[in-house]
Amino acid sequence: MPFAYQLPSDVSPATVANTSSLLRIIALALISGAAIASRLFAVINFESIIHEFDPWFNYRATKVIAEKGFYEFWNWFDPTAWYPLGRVVGGTIYPGLMATSGVIYSLLHAINLPVDIRNICVLLAPGFSALTAWSTYMFTKELKDESAGLLAAVFIGIVPGYISRSVAGSYDNEAIAIFLLMFTFFCWIKALKIGSAFYGSLAALFYFYMVAAWGGYAFITNMIPLHAFALILMGRFSSRLYVAYSSWYAIGTLSSMQVPFVGFQPVRTSEHMAALGVFGLLQIIAFAELVRTHVSSKQFQSLLYASVVGMGITGALAIIGLTYKGWIAPWTGRFYSLWDTGYAKKYIPIIASVSEHQPTAWPSFFMDLQLLIFLFPAGVIMCFRQLRDEHVFVIIYAVVASYFAGVMVRLMLTLTPVVCVTAAVAFSSLLDTYIDPAEPDVLEDDSNTGQDAPTSGTSTAVSTSSPAPSLKKAKKAAAAAPPAGPLDGLVSTVTAAVSSSKKAGKPRGVFGLDTRIAVLINALGMLFFFVMHCTYVTSTAYSSPSVVLASTNPDGSQHIIDDFREAYYWLRQNTPETAVVMSWWDYGYQIAGMADRPTLVDNNTWNNTHIATVGKAMSSSEEVAYPILRKHDVDYVLIIFGGLLGYSGDDINKFLWMVRIAQGVWPDEIQEPNYFTPKGEYRVDEAASSTMKNSLMYKMSYYRFAELFGGNQAVDRVRGQQMPKVGPTLDYLDEAFTSENWIVRIYQVKKDDPLGRDLKTANAFAQGKKRKRSKPQVRRKAVS
Amino acid sequence: MLLPLLALFALPLCLAASTEANHAKLVQLAAANDGVIRLDQSTYRLLTSPRRNWSASVQFTAMDKRRRCTPCREFGPSFNAVAKAWSKVSSAERDSHFFATLDFDDAMPVFQEMNLQSAPVVQVYTATEGPRQSASGRTAISLDFSQGFEAAPLAEQLSHYTPVPIPYKPPFDWSRAATFVFMALAFVAALRFMAPILRSRWTWAVIVVLTSLVMTSGYMFVRIRGMPHSGPNGQWIAPGYQNMFGQEVQVVSMIYGTLAGGFLMLTLIVPNNLSPQRQRMQVYLWAGVIFIMYSVLVSLFREKNRNYPFKLLF
Repeated sequence: MPFAYQLPSDVSPATVANTSSLLRIIALALISGAAIASRLFAVINFESIIHEFDPWFNYRATKVIAEKGFYEFWNWFDPTAWYPLGRVVGGTIYPGLMATSGVIYSLLHAINLPVDIRNICVLLAPGFSALTAWSTYMFTKELKDESAGLLAAVFIGIVPGYISRSVAGSYDNEAIAIFLLMFTFFCWIKALKIGSAFYGSLAALFYFYMVAAWGGYAFITNMIPLHAFALILMGRFSSRLYVAYSSWYAIGTLSSMQVPFVGFQPVRTSEHMAALGVFGLLQIIAFAELVRTHVSSKQFQSLLYASVVGMGITGALAIIGLTYKGWIAPWTGRFYSLWDTGYAKKYIPIIASVSEHQPTAWPSFFMDLQLLIFLFPAGVIMCFRQLRDEHVFVIIYAVVASYFAGVMVRLMLTLTPVVCVTAAVAFSSLLDTYIDPAEPDVLEDDSNTGQDAPTSGTSTAVSTSSPAPSLKKAKKAAAAAPPAGPLDGLVSTVTAAVSSSKKAGKPRGVFGLDTRIAVLINALGMLFFFVMHCTYVTSTAYSSPSVVLASTNPDGSQHIIDDFREAYYWLRQNTPETAVVMSWWDYGYQIAGMADRPTLVDNNTWNNTHIATVGKAMSSSEEVAYPILRKHDVDYVLIIFGGLLGYSGDDINKFLWMVRIAQGVWPDEIQEPNYFTPKGEYRVDEAASSTMKNSLMYKMSYYRFAELFGGNQAVDRVRGQQMPKVGPTLDYLDEAFTSENWIVRIYQVKKDDPLGRDLKTANAFAQGKKRKRSKPQVRRKAVS
Repeated sequence: MLLPLLALFALPLCLAASTEANHAKLVQLAAANDGVIRLDQSTYRLLTSPRRNWSASVQFTAMDKRRRCTPCREFGPSFNAVAKAWSKVSSAERDSHFFATLDFDDAMPVFQEMNLQSAPVVQVYTATEGPRQSASGRTAISLDFSQGFEAAPLAEQLSHYTPVPIPYKPPFDWSRAATFVFMALAFVAALRFMAPILRSRWTWAVIVVLTSLVMTSGYMFVRIRGMPHSGPNGQWIAPGYQNMFGQEVQVVSMIYGTLAGGFLMLTLIVPNNLSPQRQRMQVYLWAGVIFIMYSVLVSLFREKNRNYPFKLLF
């Protein structure tokens, strides 16, 4: 058998095995290092700071754990959130993330390493990304082999789709959830493969951890039953499946119910019913199989078959009936909106308003996954060629996750692992084929095909069982149709490759060294490009803390815009500790975390009416808003305004959502069309509608804005519109603080007039007096 | 001297009388036309006369084919369905709210006067007199179509302005139900013949791969946002990173498919070819295809994301 290049032949198999395992360990260590390092851009470019919005709450909760211990945290009632309602924090969160950091914190302190809790929180996500890379390696190893596993680990380690949620400082549930997701799936596949109750229980344990950590656990809750159900439909029921599923479901469900926020949901809501239903179905089938092995009568078997089908249908009907009776809660809005994509916009605008709940355009896919996105279908085909039980799992995961990722940008996160796994399978198959030095024999002597097939040449993707008939058929097909032209040759090879998926014994391989080098250089170039792409995307797009903004000075150096912290610290140092701050819900967690002041609403959007109240106050006129503010004891109102700097994520751009959410509760008082010009445009300049101009949000945003331009034309840089010369006036609020670049503006709500007048008349009176006093002065000036 | 004065005194009476007459005329028009008054300029003035004790929903539209207003024709049936539902309420309430439609070709001046640039538009004219006089003092309210052109949300929105809620029920879609039943039966009947196809893994492979290709090319984005197939003047790449046209889905999924196919050919098919020359040719062919298609993809991406610093061939 010819070789394209020579391999050293005097190496003992033991040496090869040892060296390869050593190389694997080194490679995994390097991958972990790369995964952690590429997430540190945010720390290096900015500082070790908690990012965005939700992480600020997690950080605050973690501080409670670190300082007061777990029991105190469990019973924590936070009176400053959702003023005046307060929030039972212990019962309304997934505590997994905070508990993890708490454990790490006390562990480090136990060995006398006094690490600040903030640094643990900042670096938790990069640390767990290394674990994710490892668990992806384990998962892919079960699908193909170690080399595919290493590729998958590299891919998941640096792919932007996962980095976007796990840079240093983005201290959110997803930071640890993807590791748990992949490890649970690995345990499930392993349990199924060897029919092990141990791995099944391990899967259940990690499932429990996942339930405690992230609301997205419902993905596992439905993926595993779906897989089991597909296997049953394919006629692949086995005792391995029974053992794996039963141990996972029983232990997993019981333990998941220990999380207070989940409670009895696993038996009361529709999201969990698929798991329960498949569990029941498996019991019925296992029972039927048991009976079948003991009974031989044919009639009895058909009777049994009918009764099994009947029981299955009865069970399904029972679940449906219970849902109608209200014993089982129907799908919650968040999940339902994944299927009926118009649902959220109509009925739950608060969900539709979040930018990460928007559908995904194709550039986002390419940005986040680059070459993996087109290797993904190739990898799926590879899975179809082998189609063991674990491949079925990957295929189902691929379809489901690609649909979800298309519907919501946020769910790109669940697609990323499967894309990495399948792309690694496809890519490593390519490398296997072209690195393998064995060349096949030339076609001319096809008399002895099959007999002395090169075993090393077929080491890739050989399934263990190859039934003899299909082998013969393939040989016959190959012999019957000797290729006449290039096209015929192609056709016959395609049919041969498709019809004989089990292709053991058929000679295949690549001729020549040049072809190998061409393909491998091409492939390595693509991988290199992938690394460049990931580094570029990570450093430019995903490493901004969004608490601190960066811009470039004319000389190219970096300029840090720190308005948010400036304003929050102003609140912290200049207002009484009980001063209630009203803002749109996006900033609730940040105000609580950085300014430590009570807020009306925050990012935990559990009370729609309360949020709509804030929306109504923002979108109505001062006279209407003032009683609302007073009734809620609001002392300060905080808004974000980007018009001066060109910061597009400001409140005027979010304003329509405030209007919409308020309209959902008070359709008579707030109507969205009133905020548009008669032509249906959203404008803030002279042509803006009067409702818009009179709204509290508009007034607060543009109060004294025109003065800044000193008589020149004032321009709103976000909307690109020219502002009127005379800005709005405020009667019921006082400007208290405006940050350096005007991004944050804080207004103080005036107390009732001491003389009992309406504040507007009091203001008019005060101004009228002033005008009278100044009149003679003006006249004198005119004379002189 | 006295006569004009008398006439002046009589004016309110006359006006009241004419309001009555106008109302009667409108009721008659509505009855004649299946609940929807087809307006022209004069009847429009009549309907929206500043003194009215009735309210009205007016649809401004351009149904004529030459106007090429697809949304108008899409929306028309919904409006008519809601109007028809309204004509079923008891006459006392029915006659205090009218449904009317005004076509661009019938009353161009009205459109110009109201400064309407686009159609369809639905305006609600509230009553200015009588018990149903609007509390807010606003006489004309235009509805928004943020929830689409369907009849159900329209009826819900209009119900805020009618004396009683519009009893609109979406008609049961018999044809859809029948199609569904027929498809199900056909599927069951064909199951016997289809079984080999359904059992083949490659059928499923094609389904799975096509689904994931289409989904990862932004199909759901186009579907949810209702993006057009292509832009005006033949432009098919939508500008902007978070934006795309329907045609992009096809192009991008085709590129992804070609690239994936190239990889599969190199890995699975080419090594099966046992003639060295032919195989070498195929290897270079597919490696070239992959390189070129990848360059095309990257340049397409640069088109969407102008700041992207990398490029291959183009």
